[in-house]
Amino acid sequence: MLSKSVIEDVLLEALSTGGDFAEIFVEDKINNSLLMIGGKIEKAVSGRDFGIGIRIFNKTNSVYAYTNNSSRENLLKVAREAALALNGVKGDITLNLMKSEIKSIHNIVLLPRNIEKSKKIDLMKRAYFAAKNYDEVITQVTVRYSDEEQNVLIANTEGLYVEDKRVRTRTAIQTIASRNGEMQSGFYAPGAHMGFEFYDKINIEDYAKEAARIAKTMIYADYCPSGKMPIIIDNGFGGVIFHEACGHGLEATSVAKGTSVFAGKIGEKIASELVTAIDDGTIPNAWGSQNVDDEGTPTQKNILIENGILKGYMVDKLNGRRMGVKSTGSGRRQSYKYAPTSRMTNTYIANGKSTKEEIIANTEYGLYAKYMGGGSVDTSTGDFNFAVMEGYLIKNGKIEKPVRGATLIGNGLEVLKKIDMVGNNLEFGQGMCGSVSGSIPANVGQPTIRVQSMTVGGRKEE
Amino acid sequence: MDKRVLINRIFEEGRKKGLKDMEVFIQESNDFKLRVFKGEVDELNISKEEGLSFRCIYDGKMGYSYTEKLDETSIDMLINEAVENASAVDSEDVEEIFAGSKSYTEVDSFNTKLENLNVKDGIEFAKSLEKEALELDKRVISVPHCIFNKQSMHTILVNTKGLNLEDKSNIAYSYVNVMVKENDDVKTSSKYIISNDFSKFDYKVLAKQVVDEAVSMLGAESVKSDAYPVILRNDVAADILGAFSPIFSAENVQKNLSLLKGKLNKKIASEIITIVDNPFMKGGIASCSFDNEGVATKYKKVVDRGVLTTYLHNIKTAKKDGVQSTGNGFKPSFKSPVSISPTNMYIENGDKSLDEMIRSVKRGILIIDVKGLHSGLNTVSGDFSLAASGYEIIDGRINRPVNQITIAGNFYDLLNNVLEIGNDLKFALPMNGFIGSPSLKIKELSVAGM
Repeated sequence: MLSKSVIEDVLLEALSTGGDFAEIFVEDKINNSLLMIGGKIEKAVSGRDFGIGIRIFNKTNSVYAYTNNSSRENLLKVAREAALALNGVKGDITLNLMKSEIKSIHNIVLLPRNIEKSKKIDLMKRAYFAAKNYDEVITQVTVRYSDEEQNVLIANTEGLYVEDKRVRTRTAIQTIASRNGEMQSGFYAPGAHMGFEFYDKINIEDYAKEAARIAKTMIYADYCPSGKMPIIIDNGFGGVIFHEACGHGLEATSVAKGTSVFAGKIGEKIASELVTAIDDGTIPNAWGSQNVDDEGTPTQKNILIENGILKGYMVDKLNGRRMGVKSTGSGRRQSYKYAPTSRMTNTYIANGKSTKEEIIANTEYGLYAKYMGGGSVDTSTGDFNFAVMEGYLIKNGKIEKPVRGATLIGNGLEVLKKIDMVGNNLEFGQGMCGSVSGSIPANVGQPTIRVQSMTVGGRKEE
Repeated sequence: MDKRVLINRIFEEGRKKGLKDMEVFIQESNDFKLRVFKGEVDELNISKEEGLSFRCIYDGKMGYSYTEKLDETSIDMLINEAVENASAVDSEDVEEIFAGSKSYTEVDSFNTKLENLNVKDGIEFAKSLEKEALELDKRVISVPHCIFNKQSMHTILVNTKGLNLEDKSNIAYSYVNVMVKENDDVKTSSKYIISNDFSKFDYKVLAKQVVDEAVSMLGAESVKSDAYPVILRNDVAADILGAFSPIFSAENVQKNLSLLKGKLNKKIASEIITIVDNPFMKGGIASCSFDNEGVATKYKKVVDRGVLTTYLHNIKTAKKDGVQSTGNGFKPSFKSPVSISPTNMYIENGDKSLDEMIRSVKRGILIIDVKGLHSGLNTVSGDFSLAASGYEIIDGRINRPVNQITIAGNFYDLLNNVLEIGNDLKFALPMNGFIGSPSLKIKELSVAGM
């Protein structure tokens, strides 16, 4: 992607004003996306992202610059401009780049760029018809297909020189149910760090029908009541609760500055002993996985919480310097346009012992959140919110009726302690996570769990 | 490689492949962004970027492609991919490459003074801002985010039908977030300023706003779940209007994704509400003289005294509805196909001050912040349920801070339940257009708390 000699020259130029570490990130990415509304392809676009990011550290300060122009002259100019932001004296540097070959743990069989568009469209049509024909209340179905092949080269003045390929594909199905002048929607978007063979491993029609079932259920549902009550959050994308309530607060991005509610709490009991939580970037072909992070550090399995005790944070290089610890392979970024920082990969609550049926049967009154929408958190206070896409009221240990329009709010530190049942049916759901280094693919996961009490924002008084 | 030369080469190659109607859109930007923490420049980002997107009509359909490598090596890929993408399209809607409007209103969104502002000036501003915030009140324990950003953009739109347009704009932005603490109670607040007039950037004002608001939230508690009269402060009302702005897109209406379908010339809001889309607004971040299809932009009332008067159109949706494009054919990014978005869209000012509105509430809540706009609201159903904070109002006075609540309702109901409109129009951070609103007094919303 760039010759070794150019890389070396650029890295050396970057350290010309006293920086003590320099890194270059080259990205060449092929993207493809198709939009189908009402069974017809409305928009088709494909293209190539290409750019180079140069980063310099001087102790714990960082300068980042990026450009699309990869000529030697331009890169040296950009490196020099970035270096000028630091005003020190050039140190003694010897650069010895050693190329390390990655043995990919993510088997890619069918590169999406080699797949004819007609095959991708056939897949979308299958999803469309499965959802549209599910029920007559389904009035619209939108299918978005996308794939990407990201080739990166990362080198730094510690001698790192590595290339990696990330291939991802995802199909998002949005369904609309209409009745009596009202509309409700359902959504499902399976994806993986995999080639087009992903669609042989799953049946897209099952996901499409599920998205249609959600919209249909919600169009017949009543509004959710408000107030504090026990909440059962189902497995899979339900893991977004941990992602928001706790995950972001365990990223070194906020921990290093002491602005996270979880800063300085290693070894302390911060959650119910039923909770063990993990961020694992090494799960083969999982949506949030990568061989190496975007700083070239191999990803790893990081235990965040073990039986309620805080064990570790997710750390990138710069924040590792600030905290005096090593990177945990958590440095990620959307693209060369962003300096990397610590982010989640595949984050989940590990299996417990209860069955989902036991959890429901043991709940006298509460809300069962079968599918979650997205959410957000203020890491300084731990206050979070997230949306329930498909919910049900539980009465006397039984699912009573579907309810719509609920949002759950709470505080991360409090809610972790209130998890009082953990199921044995761990699953993952795919999402896009937005933060300082952009929007990145992140897997969330958990078994079915119960939280003793949380505030439900609904629209109806009981 | 010179941009104009590259464009001509692309058109030449396209013609060789039998293409007639082709268009190139180029976007270049120069940007710096910095973050100050504890008196030091914690992060500095400098960028120079360029992107080119190509589209063409092939077999009657529009195909798109793009590249960030602006040289000869990309030409074949651009043309081949666009042709292949056009072949994939099977929608019956007709798209076209546009020859140009009769005239364009000149819009000045480039401030030469701002162009001279350099990294050092930005650093000085951000350092002063952080220092001021830390010194204003001893309860301020940290300033987790103190950011300054400057961006200059240059776009070129050229097509084979003779259209040849250029636009230059620049903008500066500062965002500050503070943490305050009293005993074990931690609260945060954020404020921002966005403008291409740097003389409006007053760090003292920004620091005072953010610190005062964070401190005012100390001791906040939830309220009893109930239906309450609610005042949405201008910034909150603007955020909510912005999140629901896709309902005005003709694209969504035509695809049955907006409940405004069939509501043209009907009353959809309280008669005191007028919503304007004004691409010529002075100081408007989204001000421009042409949209991404090259259509001249125009001023219009989208909602006039409660009545929906138009949807927002691009060429394709206008053709389908038998009307003229409203000049709202914009792309979310240079890479995207043309879609629809507002320019500077806002609810027109009313005549009440926020204080007057507060005084008129016997028991209610003033909302000063909402969270979860990307997840807690549904543009299709109009339903929303958002984490919120603000102040409890009792007998026309602010009584105490409130947090850990949600406000829930339906946007279409809300539009009809606006009782009073403030005279304090404010714009939210630009997302999909630049959206503004004055403070709004709402008859009632469901509030969930204790």
